[in-house]
Amino acid sequence: MAVTATTPATRPPTATSRTGAARVTAALVLLVVALAVVDITQGTAAVGAPEVWKALTGRADQADASVLIASRLPRVAAGLLVGAVLGMAGAALQAVSRNVLASPDTLAVNAGSYFALGLATVTGVSLPLLASSGIAFAGGLAAAAVVLGLSGLGAGTVRLVLAGSALTLGLTALTEGLLLLFPQQTDGLYHWNQGSIAQNGFDGVLQMLPIAVVGLVGLLLLARRIDALALGDDAARGLGVPVRATRLTAVVLAALLSTAAVTLAGPIGFVGLCAPALVRPLARRFRALTRTRGNLPVAGLTGAALVLGSDVLLRALVPSDVAVGVPTGIVTSLVGAVFLVVMACRTRDTAAAAAPDRLHIRSRAVFLTTTAVLVVVLVGVVIAAVLLGDARLLLGDVVNWLQGRAGRTTAFVLDTRVPRVLAALFAGAALALAGTLVQAVTRNPLAEPSILGVSGGAALGAVLLVTTVPMVGSWGVAGGAFAGAAVSSVLVFGLAARGGYQQNRLVLVGFGVATGAAALISLLIIITDPFNAIKALTWLSGSTYGRTLPDIVPLAAVLAVGVVVAAARRTELDLVSLDEDTPRLLGLNLGRGRLGFLVLAVLLAAAAVAAAGTIGFVGLVAPHAARALVGRQHARVVPVAVLLGAVLVCAADLVGRTVIAPAQLGAGMMTAVIGTPYFLYLLVRSRRG
Amino acid sequence: MRRLLLTTAVATTAALTLTACGTTEPAADDAKKTTERITLTDATGTKVELDGPAKKVVGTEWNVVEHLIELGVDPVGVSDVKGYKTWDTAVPLKNEPKDIGTRGEPSMETVAALKPDLILATSDLPPAAVKQLRKIAPVLEVKAADAADPIGRMTENLDLIAKATGTTDKATELKKQFEAKLDEGKKALADAKLAGAKYAFADGYVVSNQVSIRPYTSGSLIGAVNEELGLKNAWTVKGDPAYGLGATDVEGLTKIGDVQFAYIGNDGDASSNPFAGVLAKDKVWTSLPFVKKGNVHRLPDGVWMFGGPGSMSAYVDSLVAALTK
Repeated sequence: MAVTATTPATRPPTATSRTGAARVTAALVLLVVALAVVDITQGTAAVGAPEVWKALTGRADQADASVLIASRLPRVAAGLLVGAVLGMAGAALQAVSRNVLASPDTLAVNAGSYFALGLATVTGVSLPLLASSGIAFAGGLAAAAVVLGLSGLGAGTVRLVLAGSALTLGLTALTEGLLLLFPQQTDGLYHWNQGSIAQNGFDGVLQMLPIAVVGLVGLLLLARRIDALALGDDAARGLGVPVRATRLTAVVLAALLSTAAVTLAGPIGFVGLCAPALVRPLARRFRALTRTRGNLPVAGLTGAALVLGSDVLLRALVPSDVAVGVPTGIVTSLVGAVFLVVMACRTRDTAAAAAPDRLHIRSRAVFLTTTAVLVVVLVGVVIAAVLLGDARLLLGDVVNWLQGRAGRTTAFVLDTRVPRVLAALFAGAALALAGTLVQAVTRNPLAEPSILGVSGGAALGAVLLVTTVPMVGSWGVAGGAFAGAAVSSVLVFGLAARGGYQQNRLVLVGFGVATGAAALISLLIIITDPFNAIKALTWLSGSTYGRTLPDIVPLAAVLAVGVVVAAARRTELDLVSLDEDTPRLLGLNLGRGRLGFLVLAVLLAAAAVAAAGTIGFVGLVAPHAARALVGRQHARVVPVAVLLGAVLVCAADLVGRTVIAPAQLGAGMMTAVIGTPYFLYLLVRSRRG
Repeated sequence: MRRLLLTTAVATTAALTLTACGTTEPAADDAKKTTERITLTDATGTKVELDGPAKKVVGTEWNVVEHLIELGVDPVGVSDVKGYKTWDTAVPLKNEPKDIGTRGEPSMETVAALKPDLILATSDLPPAAVKQLRKIAPVLEVKAADAADPIGRMTENLDLIAKATGTTDKATELKKQFEAKLDEGKKALADAKLAGAKYAFADGYVVSNQVSIRPYTSGSLIGAVNEELGLKNAWTVKGDPAYGLGATDVEGLTKIGDVQFAYIGNDGDASSNPFAGVLAKDKVWTSLPFVKKGNVHRLPDGVWMFGGPGSMSAYVDSLVAALTK
């Protein structure tokens, strides 16, 4: 195993440090071995500790021995390899970007690889493992290139993570789309985009091992240069280190490593983020571990311990027949989510939130024209959404329907189509308003209900309720969503409240909560209802399928309240969004005002989730575009943002329903496809600004 | 951005003018009532009223589609027609029905456009979707499966559908044929000294280098048929309450011991046949007692494991042929 082979590579400067680092490494090796031994005794076959012991002493019957050799050992080996490789990739990425939050997940490498693999599967070409890992490599590398290119290497912790996480969300939505469209080729949604380390025989591990070794050796050869980068770009250049080439090579090697992991086991979340982070406190005590040559193998060992530990935990907690269906990646994602939150709280983020939009001052005429044009577009989209679908209608049909004298078919079509259109319309408007409020209160242009984990929490609450009380009504679902959203937002805003909301900590904590919620939703669905694709689609990626008018009532009510409140208190919104001091000078109770707006935003987001599932990015895109169009005054931003949000989701729903009709895609998936590029564009622009 | 918005606005206004005020269907006039009404109670306890035996029927799941075809009523709309043709050749479609979308999210609108007399849905659809379908046409919602009594559930569904389509005689005939098929199969197995033999049926899937296996426990339709044939179900895993399906992996197979093992794959779906594919080299698989003895049987493709008497009769035939070979 690569991990143990490289242990001697630690070459610390002082004797005490050397023994200390050696002791740490030895302890880690012991831990990994212990976890591996426990993992070997777990599984669906009746091969427990006694049988394993017999096999080790050569007295096992042949069946037990073959289970051990062909199933358990490969699984343990895969866990070791995947964990080690991801840990090292994370450590390398963090070193070259001088960014404690860089990892294969946050740079979208995993998502890119997995999407490329999905694409290859769907085209029906059955590829040998090596070829498919080539495709995964290309995908992962491309995604990393996009993220690094957009955010700039070493240019602020948060921007990198934001770009990567946004791309991850977008690519995941696309992969989910592929899974839904080609259920036969991709075995439905059973695996929910999460990785699992189960293996059949050693073939996969043996084929990926060379790739891992190439990546590791390459990184170790590069180690001195990577160390030099820690001094800063200029200092490194002064030492004669080619900064650009070093970064590039390291990123390519790290992508190669994570490719091996994704090909072997699918996306195993957050190991690359957590493993180096766990090593960091150790590195503070043992200086040998600050060097890349010492750091990398230890991060690898820690990664292996994380993956195996997650697998052991899963199999110990869940009955083996259920554990078969629960991917290890879910557990690591949960662990990683907690980690991201803790790290976000501890990271001293000196950079203020991304620079606010330049102060646009637009004339009243511009506002009025924009609004008028938007109203026309909205009416157009709504009419198109009502007329288009599997059955094309004409306006006369709608008139007949409104007068209650439509023909049977027309009436059926409109009876089912109109609630969906309304759900999309209101959900879009509510999310846009929620986004506007959150962005104003937090003065964070990247804040948004789904990115902040509020939507995820709402969906989790709703799924919990739907799972435990099957016959729950619309208000019940909305109530569950409210409760979930309340819990998650108290968590996110509470943790981010220290030192005001404007820090990027808010977004990072939010990302953590959002990821954790998504993993928990997957877990709930797998355990309670593995064959229910609709449930999964609705709560994981947003769908308006099967909505009826009563389902929309809670949303409409909350939206109406929201719009009225926002209109009445527009001046206060303007003030809150300015800066910390002005409102106080004017005698405004900042805390209470903020809280009120936040509560309203959470209610809006939860109602939207209850009606249409988790639809991401709308709350981000709509207020932003609105500010770009009509300036920063909330009297103008609110109506324009609400209109834009409604147009966006309505159009996404329309496209999702019609493009591949009679099969359908969720609206959430479509908005992710539109929203991801926009989010990335915003990041690029705010860098320039 | 602004120019884009403006262009969109102009374009939509133009489009609106063009589509204005036509209708695709004349306004409703008073519906004519026929005399021969049928009243049924479906699995949800809902009273379903029909003006007469349904002729234009839509099925959202393949099992009800299979029932229809066997009863001699060609459905006008079927979910995932291509999938049906791949997975259910035992009871092939005799016409070219309209594809109404996926089995999970059949398109309401396509269904509505077909103007069916009756929609056959199963409890796999969410209640909200069924509620919407009821506005299109009378919906007979059958329970998709019931692990407590799989065969009883199947025949009950068949009877209900037969009543709705006025084909009760045909249903009686089908049930008789099926009983006869079971007796015949049981006798053939007993003659081959296979009565009480331990037997396990499964299907399996390969996803990115990993094999997942679905055991058909006693609660599954096939599991129940096996027991009618006098075989003993060897699975010890627990199945789900509806379909009686469990989940396991290759090493889970070591628990079923020395059995007769059979599976159905599909040549049209590369991921559906791990047993002759990736597992051929797997040490756990090759060391299983039933694999060593050659007691692994691939039954012919195209028998829908959740289907009706047609598929189950085909299954009995192929199983008997495989075991008594």
